[in-house]
Amino acid sequence: MNDGKEELDDLREAVREFLAAKSPETAVRAALENGHDPAVWDQMARQLQLPGLALPGDYGGDGFGLTELEVVLEEMGAALLCSPFFGTVVLAAQALLASADEAACKRYLPGIAAGETIATLAVAESSGSWDPARIATRAERTADGWALTGKKSFVIDGSIAGLVLVVAQAPAGPALFATRGGAPGLRAEPMATLDPTRPLAALTFDQVPGELIGAGGEGGQLLSQVLDVACVALAAEQAGGARRCLEMSAEYARTRFQFGRAIGTFQAIKHKCADMLARVELAEAAAREAARLADEAAAEFPVAAVTAHICSSQAYMFAAAESIQVHGGIGFTWEHPAHLYFRRAKASELLFGGPAVYHERLLARLGI
Amino acid sequence: MALCRTDVNAPKHKGITAFLVDMTAPGVDIRPLRQMTGGSDFNEVFLTGVRVPDDHRLGEVNAGWRVALTTLMNERATVGGERGGTVAEALTPERLAALMRATGTLDDGALRRDLSVLLADLLAAGHLNRRAVRAMRAGVTPGPERSVAKLMHAQNLTRAAHFVSEVLGPRIIADTGEWGTYAWAELLLATPALRILGGTEEVMKNILAERVLKLPKEPGIDSTSPFRELPRSGKAVS
Repeated sequence: MNDGKEELDDLREAVREFLAAKSPETAVRAALENGHDPAVWDQMARQLQLPGLALPGDYGGDGFGLTELEVVLEEMGAALLCSPFFGTVVLAAQALLASADEAACKRYLPGIAAGETIATLAVAESSGSWDPARIATRAERTADGWALTGKKSFVIDGSIAGLVLVVAQAPAGPALFATRGGAPGLRAEPMATLDPTRPLAALTFDQVPGELIGAGGEGGQLLSQVLDVACVALAAEQAGGARRCLEMSAEYARTRFQFGRAIGTFQAIKHKCADMLARVELAEAAAREAARLADEAAAEFPVAAVTAHICSSQAYMFAAAESIQVHGGIGFTWEHPAHLYFRRAKASELLFGGPAVYHERLLARLGI
Repeated sequence: MALCRTDVNAPKHKGITAFLVDMTAPGVDIRPLRQMTGGSDFNEVFLTGVRVPDDHRLGEVNAGWRVALTTLMNERATVGGERGGTVAEALTPERLAALMRATGTLDDGALRRDLSVLLADLLAAGHLNRRAVRAMRAGVTPGPERSVAKLMHAQNLTRAAHFVSEVLGPRIIADTGEWGTYAWAELLLATPALRILGGTEEVMKNILAERVLKLPKEPGIDSTSPFRELPRSGKAVS
């Protein structure tokens, strides 16, 4: 099998160049104030066709796999890109694909692939849990469809999404529904967030008209599938972010002089950086390998997905925290970007429940 | 293979020559070193006036450091390689879970967390190795980042040994006769060496920092002065 390494390298290079121009630190900081830059979202779709990269050709995409998407997400994570990409292309699009509802895929995915639709997936409620048993939002039959009532929290880009996919309890069990942002009865409020580079919202549903996606009742299975892909996608972002923290630290250690020598000559600093490198290499391998296994529909994928989630969460947190230490005094200032990575690292680690959830998930996947 | 100092006036890396020595030759005195495991994998070898024919020289005179490096690289590759020996093969999720089941600790929350942390790292290290093997087959020369595999391997096995000893409790300090319990003591006693063999952890980290991350070398490490002028253990600095 041709592993297409050169194509992946070219893709990485193109995305890296684009992000160096469009998502430098100044742009990230501007997004903290004003939200994501719609012009960049537009260019990502038109020039690089990134939203459609890993979507099937039948739905307006380019038909590549998670292996290619993983590369893009590594670079986005490294640049701390503030974008509805993750919520739209990973969460919402993967939920639609997992539903196997062809009509819904035909209706919504081409808009996502073209960068015309910003979408999100609302699962967790006040507990933050993705466990279908913990979902209280209800879906009730109405004369012409369904009505959704309840409250969702931690909804990525929930304030700006035009398409909102919601997991709610229907009479036959948890199921996926679609509604649009601004639908009657739907109220979105931005949440104050530890990581302002990824906006989260609380959505209140009061008899909001919703459209059932899929046959209904298999929401639990769907969530588990979406979560696996989302964890690998997040792991890619985390590995990329961790790699950037390491690069910033190494660069600083090479150029910052103290006691008459570059601080990188001290073994205390060298060993910190080497420890970071070890965690980063491990996280990258775990994320890339999980993506590859997903594309091969390998039986090992579910275990590999959780492994990537755990290793990348640990690596990013470790690298972001150690990076501040290597930078010393400047490292904990507002003006230095280290805290932006620290915030993203912590928020990513806990986005889907964190260590309390993912360790037991790994053991469950291994039958332990 | 013996590395011998052949030019004390050259810098330390440049005055070494490698020879093949017949271990039965007169003047070769072999004294086994006993390790903390009780086993003897190493020896002290004393060479006193041993005659070595020139065709037993490996490489050029004073070019022995390259021979040594190649040997070391291979040693590192073995330590961090895909197969970690019989002990590493026993560290499967199934075996570890069975051990917890047998000792009634499968529901212990703290041990479950430790197990998951350990397994995630073992699985990821497996992925790292698989990707390296695939890259090598595709013709990519392995770089110094391969040292990461060695570091992780030693650390993972060390953590595994301590995890297993916590699961076993007193059964690892004295043999109850129960199969598959006291035998783990062997892993426990073997792991400290793993962090030293083939380059100590500290040296490996220096290599990663300097070769991969391009951090500057520590000043005062002298690789240019003649060997005879270098300060050495047991020899006063003049």
